[in-house]
Amino acid sequence: MVSVINTVDTSHEDMIHDAQMDYYGTRLATCSSDRTVKIFDVRNGGQILVADLRGHEGPVWQVAWAHPMFGNILASCSYDRKVIIWKEDNGSWDKMYEYTGHESSVNSVCWGPYEFGLILACGSSDGAISLLTFTGDQQWDVKKISNAHTIGCNAVSWAPAVVPGSLIDQPSGQKPNYVKRFVSGGCDNLVKLWKEEDGQWKEDQKLEAHSDWVRDVGWAPSIGLPTSTIASCSQDGRVFIWTCDDPAGNTWTPELLHKFNDVVWHVSWSITGNILAVSGGDNKVTLWKESMDGRWACISDVSKGQGAVSTITDTQQTEQ
Amino acid sequence: MAARWSSENVVVEFRDAQATAMSVDCLGSHAVLSGRRFLYMVNLEAPSEPPRKIGRQSKWDVGTVQWNPHRAESHVFAASSNQRVDLYSWRDGCGEVHTSLQGHTRVISDLDWSWFEPEFLVTSSVDTYIYIWDTRDTRKPTVALSAVAGASQVKWNRKNQYLLASSHDGDVRIWDKRKPNTAAEYVAAHLSKIHGLDWHPDNEFILATSSQDNSVRFWDYRQPRKYLNILSCQVPVWKARYTPFSNGLVTVMVPQLRRENSLLLWSTLDLNSPVHAFVGHDDVVLEFQWRPQKEGSKDYQLVTWSRDQTLRIWRVDPQLQKLCVSDVEELMDGMSLTVEMEKSLSSQEPDSQHSLGPAAENLQDPDSGGRQDSAGGSGLTQTLQQEFSLVNLQIRNVNVEMDVVNRSCVVSAHFGSHQVHLVVKFPAQYPNNAAPSFQFVSPTTIPSAMKTKIQKILTDTSLQKVKRNQNCLEPCVRQLVSCLESDMTQEDPFVISNPVTPALQPFPRVTNTYGSYQDANIPFPRTSGARFCGTGCLVYFTRPITMHRSVPPTEPTPRSLSALSAYHSGVLTPMKMRSESQSTLRLYSGSPTRSDKDTVSISSFYYKERKLPISASRRWSVQTLHDWPKSRRFKTKREGTDYGNRPIKLAGKVIIQDISCLLPVHKSLGESYILNMNDIQETCQKNAAAALTVGRRDVAKVWALASAATSQDLSPDSDPDTETPWARHPFGRQLLETLLDHYSHMSDVQTLAMLCSVFRAQAPPPDCYSLYGHHASRSAMLPPHHSRYPSYTSSSVTSGSCSSTSDSITTTTWNAGRDSEHANPWGESSPDDYRYGNQGYTDPREREREQHDMNKRLLDPANMLQFDDFKKCYGEILYRWGLREKRADVLKFATCPPEPHKGIEFGVYCCHCRSQARGTQCAVCKRLTFQCAICHVAVRGSSNFCLSCGHGGHTSHMMDWFRRQDECPAGCGCHCLLQSTF
Repeated sequence: MVSVINTVDTSHEDMIHDAQMDYYGTRLATCSSDRTVKIFDVRNGGQILVADLRGHEGPVWQVAWAHPMFGNILASCSYDRKVIIWKEDNGSWDKMYEYTGHESSVNSVCWGPYEFGLILACGSSDGAISLLTFTGDQQWDVKKISNAHTIGCNAVSWAPAVVPGSLIDQPSGQKPNYVKRFVSGGCDNLVKLWKEEDGQWKEDQKLEAHSDWVRDVGWAPSIGLPTSTIASCSQDGRVFIWTCDDPAGNTWTPELLHKFNDVVWHVSWSITGNILAVSGGDNKVTLWKESMDGRWACISDVSKGQGAVSTITDTQQTEQ
Repeated sequence: MAARWSSENVVVEFRDAQATAMSVDCLGSHAVLSGRRFLYMVNLEAPSEPPRKIGRQSKWDVGTVQWNPHRAESHVFAASSNQRVDLYSWRDGCGEVHTSLQGHTRVISDLDWSWFEPEFLVTSSVDTYIYIWDTRDTRKPTVALSAVAGASQVKWNRKNQYLLASSHDGDVRIWDKRKPNTAAEYVAAHLSKIHGLDWHPDNEFILATSSQDNSVRFWDYRQPRKYLNILSCQVPVWKARYTPFSNGLVTVMVPQLRRENSLLLWSTLDLNSPVHAFVGHDDVVLEFQWRPQKEGSKDYQLVTWSRDQTLRIWRVDPQLQKLCVSDVEELMDGMSLTVEMEKSLSSQEPDSQHSLGPAAENLQDPDSGGRQDSAGGSGLTQTLQQEFSLVNLQIRNVNVEMDVVNRSCVVSAHFGSHQVHLVVKFPAQYPNNAAPSFQFVSPTTIPSAMKTKIQKILTDTSLQKVKRNQNCLEPCVRQLVSCLESDMTQEDPFVISNPVTPALQPFPRVTNTYGSYQDANIPFPRTSGARFCGTGCLVYFTRPITMHRSVPPTEPTPRSLSALSAYHSGVLTPMKMRSESQSTLRLYSGSPTRSDKDTVSISSFYYKERKLPISASRRWSVQTLHDWPKSRRFKTKREGTDYGNRPIKLAGKVIIQDISCLLPVHKSLGESYILNMNDIQETCQKNAAAALTVGRRDVAKVWALASAATSQDLSPDSDPDTETPWARHPFGRQLLETLLDHYSHMSDVQTLAMLCSVFRAQAPPPDCYSLYGHHASRSAMLPPHHSRYPSYTSSSVTSGSCSSTSDSITTTTWNAGRDSEHANPWGESSPDDYRYGNQGYTDPREREREQHDMNKRLLDPANMLQFDDFKKCYGEILYRWGLREKRADVLKFATCPPEPHKGIEFGVYCCHCRSQARGTQCAVCKRLTFQCAICHVAVRGSSNFCLSCGHGGHTSHMMDWFRRQDECPAGCGCHCLLQSTF
């Protein structure tokens, strides 16, 4: 059964905007309108404040953990137009890098797959997306996609490192030729796919279905199947699941997961890519699971704030 | 206050009408009053006649009623009732509904007939849509504008047939109906809800907004960031509408007390005081409209309807109209008004005459046509006397004593333990580019550094203003206050000395707080969310239970951060009024005016139950009796005053949930699964048992099938002619593919990766054997079962030894990754270096055999890359679980080797000349580079050495030595066993 394994009282002085655990699920990072980022050690149901990171001058919207092969690294983005990359060294957390290249609130940060090295995508209300790549020696290479979304960019999410469409063509035994791709959503109601070609970022696809601002996008993790999947959610209350079976990655088909009554703020994929968590302005979280025949069904409706949790048990275990 | 008092021309009482809305037709002959049971048609020519009635059957009040403004359609009027608009036609003393417009899903807040096309009607609703209807086709709206936020007002532009404006809380949006997707412009107009919206009658770009935040603001929507002018009132403004004659504006305030039913006429050129007050109504003025001017008449008539159930008609004669126009302008332009000016008109005009100067902010746009010539100056400067009398200095802890005669004033302020006394002296020319002087006098207690700082700020502020001939006293005092406040932190936040009439905010909002226009494109922040983390956790955060949304749950959350300004006070219920606007009893259910000490935060959007000053909560409890009689919750909670000092919890808890049971992968299986290449049967059986223990009966059966398929009896024969391999059997490759397909649909990457690994181990590709030198050639007889070849796994990644297994190369490089304790598992190399398709065949038999090799395999060789991806993905999950050895076990079966190891490599330096060496002999000094410390022979092959002292030698010799000894065999005294971590 689904069970609550920990309840963390963050002691933030204002509302929380994001909470995320690291790769292993041992540490929790939270960020808040009180301009701080906090890191807790949450192993064994405990709660030990590891760090209280102060550096932002405005509410902090989102945090993102980098892959642990690079060390303990956390990125945070804020209303103050800054992106700060924090690193733990000998148990103390310090700023590793501060990026100030955006002209408006930075709304989303996302680390790329570890195969690409330490690379961070940042989406801002100035409409641009920045890509920060660590080149060693405290140097960061910055690439900026200007006017990626008119009015503003609200979310970015990386594609898993898979070789596009070449499951058959790829000569076996060679180092795979990964293509860097990510998806973004913005105030132009569009979901856009981006691809790096010869070191330049290019708009690859433009997905239209939403009738209002796209608030979050999530590229599903790959388990090695040729289908790519993206979830997008919007102010219009709709959540779409976009799938692409086409090896070239050109044909994306939307499927409406559900129309909610209020804004949907966040979509998140489970590690196997078959469960989607959807949350929004109604203070509720719903979990959606893809059935064997490819349909999406709500498997739980967790009404929040009450601590009450109701879920449907895993029917799969018994059905076979 | 007003220059003249007038009495109305006509008063008619309609005692039983209970009308909520009123409209005057474009001919000026009829007014319709909309009650719940009847619509009353009042003949304005003879208003005291009994009105004619049109019955209606609805439990809803009429929200808005409006006559069609076109003469050809002057018999038509529209009345909104909840979600529907009824179109009535009034002919020959009879009226009836001829059609209805249905489309909105929530209550309609406003409607407006087009000024250009008689058939077009726009409606706005709480359902967030604005519909434009063509009344000839009533089935559905012709244009739908999606505003996301509910609208309270919608108005067509009077000069441009495509433009319309709508208000959404504190924002105004300008729409071009030809581009319905997005608003053409956003104006973050007010801090609180906009009650009224009106386009300038002659200027396409200018509009006036009236708001709960106690102000009317004038906008040129092309410059949405700054209002053109502001009319500050002490109370919320319900409606502000331009007059049909030049430069006039009529406002209705939201009364704080029932007796004050101020209906005021203003000149837009001088917003300091109204020109006229229409006094007479005993209760709230619900609607006012201008009766179209009759031919030849110079009078205008204002028709008003009040909750006192009287309809009044007020005459506005040319003298009154002229009050709206300043004298100077009148002299300069050729005004259409012919009546000569009367001396008694204004008591204020003479004063303002000598202070006329160029205006800083033009109300009207210079490019526009119409009457712009008469609108030269709106921000007229005042004499010092006027400034003193009008200055709004209701600031807590501040007292200003003004002395007009000596042209000076003393500002005294108390902040915490500090006192400030400041003498301001105004030069004679002030404010015409002559700034006042500021001087601190005793008993000022602030440090001198701060005095200097404040003095500079004040001088800058005053200079800025007087350069534009503007008064500067109020801005300066406010600057002083904000300076002091930012420095004095010890003030008590719960004492608000003047909660009822707080100071107005005369400045544009500070740009670095929320809710400014710049935030219009910043998304409204998430206050709850859920994210899958690690492998089996769902992390979610929510708003605390005490934070309710200040809007009804049916209202959507705003999309942009700028909307926060509407929720500024945190106790406002901004959309309440709109959603219940059909009920007049609630029309003016204003919330307590806010304190400007409030800071805007995201939490402002959410209703905080506890943070109410005592005075405010008392006011609320009174109001709730009127406004929310059913809502006991509001009342009881707000009356509790003991909450006042308790800190409010704004951050909810973060909850971590274990959802691993929902996932198709299981950590316990990851731990208990084995991959023993030496005994596939045992592997399958053990794994089946493991699957059973976690309840995966399906997987247990699959392992049973795997066991059967890998049974030794079914081992393929090496000779292609003997029999068809089992893989070609329907229960062979085909079955396996079906299984893989099934688990792909389930996203069960664990089962997928394990099956792929097992079946790959079961039929290892032939090349690896030749690689390991066990077979002289590929044509040699292939073993029917790999378990005869234990060496396949002999170089297991987890061996943990510090020895090199290869004899063919020297010991110059060691792979640190071999050690499971210290290794970076990302650098594991696969022993399997098999490649397809690059063999050249010379012999057809060889080709056949090759084909046979492919056919023998249960896993389709064509999909090997995909199988690798399963393993890689499962490996990643195992890594997250901390099962690194299991991960290495799985990754061994990947065809595609991971990236070459980039970890520590040991190099050899010649022990004699210290040059880097390769091979056994140093290229520089020709001596042996690495001698065994025991036998003194050059070491090839397997070796061990101490990382500390660098001595070592043949592995066998070293093992023998250290079995008995602790110290280095070279005699250097190093305790190699202790030093070396290996």
